[in-house]
Amino acid sequence: MQEAISITQISKSYERKIALSSLSFTVNKGELVALIGPSGAGKTTLLNLLAAILPPSQGHILIDRQPLSELMDHKKRAKKIGIIRQQFDLVGELPVIHNVLAGRLSEWGIFKSILSMLVPQDKEYAVQALIRVGLTDKLYEKTSSLSGGEQQRVALARLLVQSPEIVLADEPVASLDPARAEDVLELLVKIALEENQTLIASLHSVEYARKYFDRLIALKDGEIFFDLPASSVTDDHINSLYRLKELS
Amino acid sequence: MKKYKLSFVTASVYALLLLMIGSWASIIIGEKASLSLLFTEKNLFYASKFFKGLLGINEESPAYLNAENWKNALDLTIETLVMSVMATGFATIAALLTVVPAARNVADGSLTLAKKWHGWLSFGVVRGGYIFSRAVPELVWAMIIIFIFKPGILPGAIALALHNFGILGKLFAEVIEDLDSRPVRNLSSSGAGRFQLFLYGVLPAALPRFLTYILYRWEVIMRTTIVVGFVGAGGLGQQFKLSMSFFHYTDITLLLFFYLLLVFAADYISEKARIFIK
Amino acid sequence: MDKRWLNFELHKRKILTLILLLAFMLSLFFVEWHSNLIHSGGFITAKQIAAAFFTPDLSGDILLLALESSWTTLSYAAAGMSLVIIIAFFFGIFASGILVSEGKIKRYIRPLFRGQLGIMRAIHELVWAWLFVASIGLSSFAAIFALAIPYGGILGRIFADMLEDIPREPIKALEAAGASKIQALWYGYLPMVRASITSYAMYRFECAIRSSAIMSFVGIGGLGYQIQLSLDDLHYDEVWTFVFFLIALVLIIDLWSNQLRKRLVQ
Repeated sequence: MQEAISITQISKSYERKIALSSLSFTVNKGELVALIGPSGAGKTTLLNLLAAILPPSQGHILIDRQPLSELMDHKKRAKKIGIIRQQFDLVGELPVIHNVLAGRLSEWGIFKSILSMLVPQDKEYAVQALIRVGLTDKLYEKTSSLSGGEQQRVALARLLVQSPEIVLADEPVASLDPARAEDVLELLVKIALEENQTLIASLHSVEYARKYFDRLIALKDGEIFFDLPASSVTDDHINSLYRLKELS
Repeated sequence: MKKYKLSFVTASVYALLLLMIGSWASIIIGEKASLSLLFTEKNLFYASKFFKGLLGINEESPAYLNAENWKNALDLTIETLVMSVMATGFATIAALLTVVPAARNVADGSLTLAKKWHGWLSFGVVRGGYIFSRAVPELVWAMIIIFIFKPGILPGAIALALHNFGILGKLFAEVIEDLDSRPVRNLSSSGAGRFQLFLYGVLPAALPRFLTYILYRWEVIMRTTIVVGFVGAGGLGQQFKLSMSFFHYTDITLLLFFYLLLVFAADYISEKARIFIK
Repeated sequence: MDKRWLNFELHKRKILTLILLLAFMLSLFFVEWHSNLIHSGGFITAKQIAAAFFTPDLSGDILLLALESSWTTLSYAAAGMSLVIIIAFFFGIFASGILVSEGKIKRYIRPLFRGQLGIMRAIHELVWAWLFVASIGLSSFAAIFALAIPYGGILGRIFADMLEDIPREPIKALEAAGASKIQALWYGYLPMVRASITSYAMYRFECAIRSSAIMSFVGIGGLGYQIQLSLDDLHYDEVWTFVFFLIALVLIIDLWSNQLRKRLVQ
C-alpha cells in the first residue's frame, strides 16, 4: 500500500490553548478515514493543518512522501488536496455552473476566467460532474436558490471537476437533515471510491462513520483516543470517547 | 462596563447640545446676526422684488418665453448630465482599482488566506487616501482643479470624482469586509489565484451592493454638479452664476427648472435601476 | 449555446453594469481630448500645488486664523444641525404617517410631507444659500437656513423610512395595552430607531461641516473662505493648511460618530 498522508508528532497550539498535541498516523492511498470525537477535540484543526490553511506548531506532514510545507503553489496543491465543508462554501450569487467550474480555476489563466464569466468554458466538465451527483437540470440556477442538500451536491460536483487525490471533508453533512445527510455522505464515499481518492472526513455521527468508512480515528482533547478499523470499534469505545470528564 | 457605555452616550448628547448652544451664541453675539434685522421692510422689499424677478413679473421678455433660451438651457442640461456620468465613472474606476487592499479582511489575510507583509501598509495608505479625498468638499476640489484645467465639464467631473472617490472607496471596502469569507476561502483552496478570487468570489457577491452605491452616489453627484459649475466647471451652474451676477432672474427660473428636472430624473432612474437588480 | 444560459434573470446585474459602462464611455466623447484642456501653465501650477502639500504654511498667524475659521465652520454646521434635527423630527413623523390611522387623512398627509421633503433635498444647499442671499441679503441666517433645508429634507426622509421599516408587532402590543399614538411613538418607535437615526445624524453632521465650509461662496467666513482667499493670492501652502484643518475637523466628527455608533449598537 502506498502512503498518501503521513504525519509525525504534529502539535498545534493557539495563543494559550493546546489544540493538538503530538499526533502521529499514516493514511494509505484510497483509504476512507473518519475523524470522530467530541466538539473541540481538534478535528477541524487537524483538517486545516492537512489543508495547509494553518501551519503546525511542531511536527511534519508528508503528502505523497513530500513535505506539505514545500507544496506552496496553491494551484498545484489544489490538484493534490480538495476540501469540502458545510454548504456555505459556494458563491450563492453565481449560477451553479460557475460554482462547479470553479474546480477548473487552477487550470485557467486570467483571460479564460474572464471569458468563462460571459460564456462558460469547459462546460462538459460541469455537465458530467452534475450528472454524477444527480443535479443535471440545475445547471443554470442561482446557487443560493438551491436547498442545502443540493448545494452540497454542487460542492461535490466542484470537487469532481477539481479532481484532487485527497479529499478533506470537514463536517460535510452537519447542517443537513438526517435523510439528506445520509444521501450526501453516501455520494461522497461513492465518488471517493470511484475516483480512487483518499478521503478524510470529520463527522459528528458515529453511526455514519461506522457505516461508510474503513477506519475511525477518534480525537479527544487534542490527542488520539483510538485509531481502529471501523469493524473493530465497539460501543464501549464510543461511550468512553464521548463520556464527560469525571469529576475527580 | 455598562456604566461606562451609558456615560459615553450621555456625555456625547450633552457635548452636542453644548456645541449647538455655543454655536448659536457665537454666531449671534460674535457676528452680530439678528433675526429681527432679517425681517425689516427693506429686506421684505428686496425679497419680493427677487421673487417677482424669478417669476418674470414686470419683465418685458422673460427668459422662459424665449425659444433661444430654452435651447441654451437644454444644451447646458445635457452638459450637466454628461458631467455627472463622467464624474461617477471616474470615481468608480478609481475606487475599484484601489479597493482590494483597503478591505480589512484582505489586509489581515482572513479573506483570501494569503497574508502579505505589505498588507497593512497598503491598507493604511489607501484608507488614508480615501479619508483625504472625501474630507475635502467638491467645491474646494473644483477651486483647485480650475487652476490647472480650463473651464469646461472635464474639471467639474474631475472635482466631483475626487471627492466621491473617497466615499465610494470606503463604501466598497466595507462591502468587501462584510462578505462571507467561506466561499472565497474555498475558492482559494480549489486553486484560484488572486484575480480569480476577485472575479469569482468577491465580485459576484459584492456587485449588487457596489451598483446600489454607484447609483446612489450618482444621485448626489447630480445635485452637486450645479455647485462645481459656480467656480467655472461648466454646465448649469456656470450659467446660473452668470445670470445671478447680471440679475437675469428669469434665466435663473429656467435653469432651476432644468436642474430640478435632472435631479428628479436621476432619482427616478436610480431607484428603478436598483429595483431592477434586486 | 444552451438556451437556459440566456435566461434574463441570470444576467440582470451584468446588463446594468454594461449599461452604466456604456453611458460612461459615451460621456467621454463629449470632451474634446487635446492639450488645450489644460491652462498653458497648468502643469507647473499642478506641480506647485502638489509641492505645497508637503510644505503647508505652519506659521503662528496662519494657524491661529485656521483655528478661528475652523470654529466658524464648526459653529455654522452645529447651528444648522440643530435646526435640521427639529425639521427632520416633525417632518419625518408626518411623512411616515405613523401618527394617523389608516384612512383618507393618511393617504394625503404622507405623500404631502414626502413631496415636501423631496423638494427640500432636491436643491443643493449652496443654491438655497444663493437664493436666500439674493432675496434677503447677506446674513448668517441665510447660511444656516440654506444648510438646514436640504439636510432636513434628507434626514427627515431617512427618519420617515426608518419609522416605517420597524417591525409592527411591538407597536401593536403597545397599542393593545392601551397606549395612545403619542405614547406608542415615545415608547415604541423612537427607542427602536434611536441607534440608527443617531448614527445617520452624526454622518450628516460630518457632511454639514463640509457644506458649512463651502458657504464661503455666499460670503460666510470659515475655512472655505480662507481657502478661496489663499487660492486667489496663489498661496498654495496656506491652502493646504486650511484644507488640513478641514480634514481634521471632519475626521474628529467621524471618529466620534464611530465611537457613538459602536456603543449604541451593542
